[in-house]
Amino acid sequence: MTFGKHSPDSKSKIITGSPRSEFWTGVRDELPLQLGVVPFGLIFGMLGISSGLTPLQTILMSSILFGGASQIVFAQLWANGAPPFFVGASVSVINLRHVLYSASVAPYLRQLPLRWRIALAYLLTDEAYAVSIKHFLERPTNPFKHFYLLGAGMALWVFWQISTIIGVFASATIPEELSLGFAIPLTFIAIVTPTIRTRPDLLACVTSGGLALAGQSLPWNSGILIAAIGGVLAGWLLHHFKRL
Amino acid sequence: MIWAIIIITGLFTFVMRFVMLSGIAPRKLPTIFEDARSFVPIAVLTAILVPAVLTGKENNIMLLDNAQLPAAFVAVVVALISRSIVITIIIGLGALWLLKFMGFP
Repeated sequence: MTFGKHSPDSKSKIITGSPRSEFWTGVRDELPLQLGVVPFGLIFGMLGISSGLTPLQTILMSSILFGGASQIVFAQLWANGAPPFFVGASVSVINLRHVLYSASVAPYLRQLPLRWRIALAYLLTDEAYAVSIKHFLERPTNPFKHFYLLGAGMALWVFWQISTIIGVFASATIPEELSLGFAIPLTFIAIVTPTIRTRPDLLACVTSGGLALAGQSLPWNSGILIAAIGGVLAGWLLHHFKRL
Repeated sequence: MIWAIIIITGLFTFVMRFVMLSGIAPRKLPTIFEDARSFVPIAVLTAILVPAVLTGKENNIMLLDNAQLPAAFVAVVVALISRSIVITIIIGLGALWLLKFMGFP
């Protein structure tokens, strides 16, 4: 399956598209990703406590911020005694990428009532976005497709909160040797790899990876943002010049 | 103080997620942006995953003596063949454990 192209073997084709079926298809498609999310939540819960956050601060951060990578960075910087402004700026820079997600789903959700747009915006994480944009591109005319994002987002939210809470209270019992944090890059590898179909796709991926590596030592994890924008730009340029 | 940072960054993150759905932002993005949209998932997720695979505990880049790198290559191949998130995570984590068990740092 890929972003932007139809895939004839898509499982979702058998769903006719009522609100309920869209919601539960979203939940179902989000479930496999929890194999990466749950270890990440456990790691965050453990890291929060070892960084000197209280259990309440750690647990509520998972629902207030609701962004795994940025929460990890928050805890790490806090543990290192970084100044509050620096912590806030880093988290914000990492989460700037959500503007891109917001823009990407906007054509499909723009016409919804405000309360829907607020709820779906809150639930618009990496993993919920990844499954939803695929679904939207495959079924752009489905009138209930926003229920799919609601289902995927709520499933992720529940697993993220529960795994954070378990991480907080079981922090002493989960051995570091399991390297459970590695499940997160593995999830992203599993999402990205099959979507690379064209040369512009490949160039976007290689450019982004190269820039992220080169920018590793930049302050405020700004390398991530630069790499993302650079990757999009490189893919778009190649796509554009092929068309000319 | 820490509560203030959590709430402010939380609000900021919500605004980032909401801004293009708000109705305040332009309804129709420029064509340039519409074309670029399909590369967003690839570029953003790659930008997060590459440092996660390659950086060690002290935030330094580790190309050698890093069991995560060969495990990530295994995961890429498995993802290409299986196209399954679950299988990729299971075999990728399994590869990492095996490499570490065999003495990879």
